[in-house]
Amino acid sequence: MSLYFRIENNIGTIEFDLPDSKVNLLTADVLKKLDALLDDLKSNTTSLKALLIVSKKKDVFIAGADIKEIAGITQKQEGEAKSKAGQNIFNKLEDLKIPTVAVIDGVALGGGCELALACWYRIATFNEKVGIGLPEVKLGIVPGFGGTYRLPRVIGLSEGLKMIVSGETISGRQALKVGLVDRLFPQKGLDEYVGEFVEDIKDKKRPARPSPLKKKKGLPAFLDTSLLGQAIVFREATKNVLKKTKGFYPAPLKAIEAVQKTIYLNRERALDMEAKTFAELAVTDISKNLVHVFYLSEKFKKFVPAGAEQIAPKEIRKCAVVGAGIMGGGIAQLLSSKDIATRMKDINYDAIAKGLKAAYKIYESAIKTRRLKKYEANLKMDKITGTIDYSGFQNAEMVIEAVVENMEVKKKVFKEITNVVPEDAILCTNTSALSVTEMAQVVKNPSRMIGLHFFNPVHRMPLVEIIKTDLTSPQTIVTTLQFAKRIGKTPILVKDCCGFLVNRILLAYINEAGYLLQEGGKMEDIDRTMKQFGMPMGPFELTDEVGIDVGYKVLQILYSGLGQRFQPAVIFKQIYEKGYLGKKAGKGFYFYKDGKIGNSNPDIQQIGKPLSSNKLSAGADEKENVQRMVYIMINEAARCLEERVIEDAATVDVGMIMGTGFPPFRGGLLRYADRVGMEAIVGELKRLEDRLQSERFRPCSYLLELQKNKKSFYH
Amino acid sequence: MDRISIIDGIRTPFCKMGTVFNDLSAQELGRIVTQELIERTGIDPKIIDEMIFGCVAQPPDAANISRVIALLSGLPKTIPAFTVHRNCASGIESVVTAALKIQGGEADCILAGGTESMSNIPFFLTKQLQEIIWEFIKAKTLPEKFKALSPLKLKYLSPRVGLQMGLTDPVCGLNMGQTAEVLAKEFGIPREEQDEFALISHQRAMKARSTLREEIVPVIPGPDYKNVVQDDNGPRENQTMEALAKLRPFFDRETGTVTAGNSSQVTDGAVALIVMRESKARELRLQPLGYLKAFAFAGVEPHRMGIGPAHAIPKVLKKAGMKLSDMQAIEINEAFAVQVLACLRALGSAQFAKEFGYEGFTGEIDRSILNVNGGAVALGHPVGATGSRLILTILKHMKRNNLNLGLVSLCVGGGQGAAVILER
Repeated sequence: MSLYFRIENNIGTIEFDLPDSKVNLLTADVLKKLDALLDDLKSNTTSLKALLIVSKKKDVFIAGADIKEIAGITQKQEGEAKSKAGQNIFNKLEDLKIPTVAVIDGVALGGGCELALACWYRIATFNEKVGIGLPEVKLGIVPGFGGTYRLPRVIGLSEGLKMIVSGETISGRQALKVGLVDRLFPQKGLDEYVGEFVEDIKDKKRPARPSPLKKKKGLPAFLDTSLLGQAIVFREATKNVLKKTKGFYPAPLKAIEAVQKTIYLNRERALDMEAKTFAELAVTDISKNLVHVFYLSEKFKKFVPAGAEQIAPKEIRKCAVVGAGIMGGGIAQLLSSKDIATRMKDINYDAIAKGLKAAYKIYESAIKTRRLKKYEANLKMDKITGTIDYSGFQNAEMVIEAVVENMEVKKKVFKEITNVVPEDAILCTNTSALSVTEMAQVVKNPSRMIGLHFFNPVHRMPLVEIIKTDLTSPQTIVTTLQFAKRIGKTPILVKDCCGFLVNRILLAYINEAGYLLQEGGKMEDIDRTMKQFGMPMGPFELTDEVGIDVGYKVLQILYSGLGQRFQPAVIFKQIYEKGYLGKKAGKGFYFYKDGKIGNSNPDIQQIGKPLSSNKLSAGADEKENVQRMVYIMINEAARCLEERVIEDAATVDVGMIMGTGFPPFRGGLLRYADRVGMEAIVGELKRLEDRLQSERFRPCSYLLELQKNKKSFYH
Repeated sequence: MDRISIIDGIRTPFCKMGTVFNDLSAQELGRIVTQELIERTGIDPKIIDEMIFGCVAQPPDAANISRVIALLSGLPKTIPAFTVHRNCASGIESVVTAALKIQGGEADCILAGGTESMSNIPFFLTKQLQEIIWEFIKAKTLPEKFKALSPLKLKYLSPRVGLQMGLTDPVCGLNMGQTAEVLAKEFGIPREEQDEFALISHQRAMKARSTLREEIVPVIPGPDYKNVVQDDNGPRENQTMEALAKLRPFFDRETGTVTAGNSSQVTDGAVALIVMRESKARELRLQPLGYLKAFAFAGVEPHRMGIGPAHAIPKVLKKAGMKLSDMQAIEINEAFAVQVLACLRALGSAQFAKEFGYEGFTGEIDRSILNVNGGAVALGHPVGATGSRLILTILKHMKRNNLNLGLVSLCVGGGQGAAVILER
């Protein structure tokens, strides 16, 4: 049984308790039972004074609809029917003649939030886990159980629209502030408090039915209720969405439209419109891809390598970071923000000062945007201390090396570290491409050596690559994975190889962009087409961001490690030698002022001119350009699978989405490849190999195998 | 019996008020030394039983500053903390209290120290203005508010400077500089002798610059994290008698001899020390810097507070059963050059010893072992921190030179003297 009903002292209680699950979901089955229960109640409410809706799960009210069921919708009619079915049940709840109270002591998301909205009252607890929201847009759909209709009517248009369009959850306190819940109660003694609350309703100390809108004054009232105010709210929301999504994600726009068109409609017609919008979106590729990405990220949040289930991760409370540069400073900031004591070492105090400054800048912006109060930021900042010797390393439980990308330097550093840290301290290198195995050679007890590759900027990029060597112990892997999760990152486990996973694939793409450029392609056009494909920035903008020197260096490493197909496009070398180092130097492919991108650097096209050969680029069009850049990544990813650098296609997709911003609406690189089909990809790669006379396009055997067996990366 | 060991210590550079540490609060300075000391010694913070800091101008936004420092430093929240105050000897008091706690069996390991940000001592409102503001806040209507403001007079607006109030004795009415003038006149110590003493302090401090780095953690003050401060900024490289002679007496313009040049500098800084039961240190295989052998405090007339060491020193020697000549290194805090000179004269006088019953525990002090790395005239005197600084400095000095016995003494505002004997 997933639903229980009981009556005590004339108060009915519906208790949600989905069997064999940590959370409550509104599955089709649960909804059916709820429907039947409400039908019963409708004919039977005379004796009841009130109806409570509660959850038996810890920290969860109802986590939403069953995403599997949404993912399974293939026909619009089916989607519309599902939405309508839910809406009808919630209408029944809303139409009961007795006060109804949703008691929220945990997350109330999507359908769970919509169910609560159909109640007359909502109360929540002071439990920090309380989170209420409508995250549907994140899955490429809109709320389908009356959320777009009810939320703006309960908390007002501007707040309601904000929640629907952003998909963000709000805390109990915020919910109280915007009027989404009527009261907050302590968890302890909740039953008594709820009892008193119901008494208050009975004694008419509270309005029998709360007015649909909390009384607002001034600007909020103007925005919520006047025609002009509403127009402004919708226009601003649309503008913000377009700015954020660049138009790649239809759901938030459709959500705005759904609210806008139904704001003055009655319930029946408004819900009708909502169901149609929901169904329309639920069948799109984009929604399916976003659901896929959601599943991937959930999976990787819980990822434990096979065979290591029994190993308990060790807790890391004290870390040492070697190198106070961009990466070292960024890592120290990240660790301190998670309240981990961090000892940062560099060769002189001026370097330490730079690292501290970089860290504080991030905190400063958190203070500015009110994510942290000043005292909180200072307290976190205080977790970082600097040193120029290895003092403080003697009790470090983990060391993260982030010095210059040079094998000799790194080996020297690890030789020193291995003598000063405890014997069981985990040794991590933040190298982006160098061999972890080689570094492990100089370390006492190399089973504790592992790669922990952060992406720049550290505090923003959600991915870390964890690189295991043949000697890395399962304990080290498990502890490092847990550590990565603890500091808020999504880890992927990669076998030590040249370039690991993300850089290997990404550099193939950047290098190809370089070839296009030196063949006479226009830099801005190449960047634009990739942005149109959905990448957050073009390949040249990205290179500027990373630093042309850094990119070129990594490309060199890949070339020497992986061979001919990574031969760097000549143009990179020439640009690098001209001193165009990218954003940090103020000039690269583009010019930068105060950290903002400006005009393109006219010199680049000049450098490219003598290199261009019309023969090659003749016949090239934008479509082919995109194919060259994307398919070469697919080919490299297939090679990584072939070499068992990673275990599955999902790892590639998580890595590319979280490490490079590969567009989530495409579901990931290999999910995209599956959509295109092996036949088309292999065919095109062969054609390019032939036309450009370069082995870098030669499809790898993994790809050919898939094509031959009519298989795809995922199936 | 277990001795009281001092395992190690660290301090910030001492920097003149309103300069590079202007933006660092006393608790922030304390946090820096506490964290660094734990990092450098590598001790497990969990073994710390208590945290005791001395602080004179305890900041209003950090009540019980020791606890605030402990929490800012990320020490386990289970470690209790309290703050001690014995004016200029607060940094001695923290160590002595730690020793007593250990001797009393209350603790094995205490993080003790002192901190002071003289740059951040607030200004106060006059009592009249304070009352007017209260009335204004309580008033509900506009006319009431106007009425509340009506007693306001211009003179109520002038602030009362916290630093100045702190350095003025509320009982004898003299400020600290004026008490130094009392001694100058009583002992007839000429201006030139005071200036000479000051000059030596600067010269020794300059010479000791790299030596002193052994006890200093470089500080990179936020929020701009631009400068790396590695050295005390009080010592002047080119200090001369001529330059000192040009300064006008500060506390007694007409007939005085005490100038800004022969007084200690108003300074920010913090010091932390780990005080541990000897057997505990042995158990943890820690090599202590040295041991606290004995301590003593003495009371004197508030208007002659600078003479305190002349009483505390014989008292501590008597307690320890030692002679002044046993001491191989001596630090007497240079609150004022004249006050140290007065103490030396008193200690050298047989009549003084006889008068107070100190016979056998006084004597001449060899200047070559006194304040060998400079004193507060050059290094500065962050009042709450100085006591701990003297212990740290003398122990490091004793270690470097393989000395066995050292003496530290300070005069204390309000009319006290403090003295401790350290051994290795």
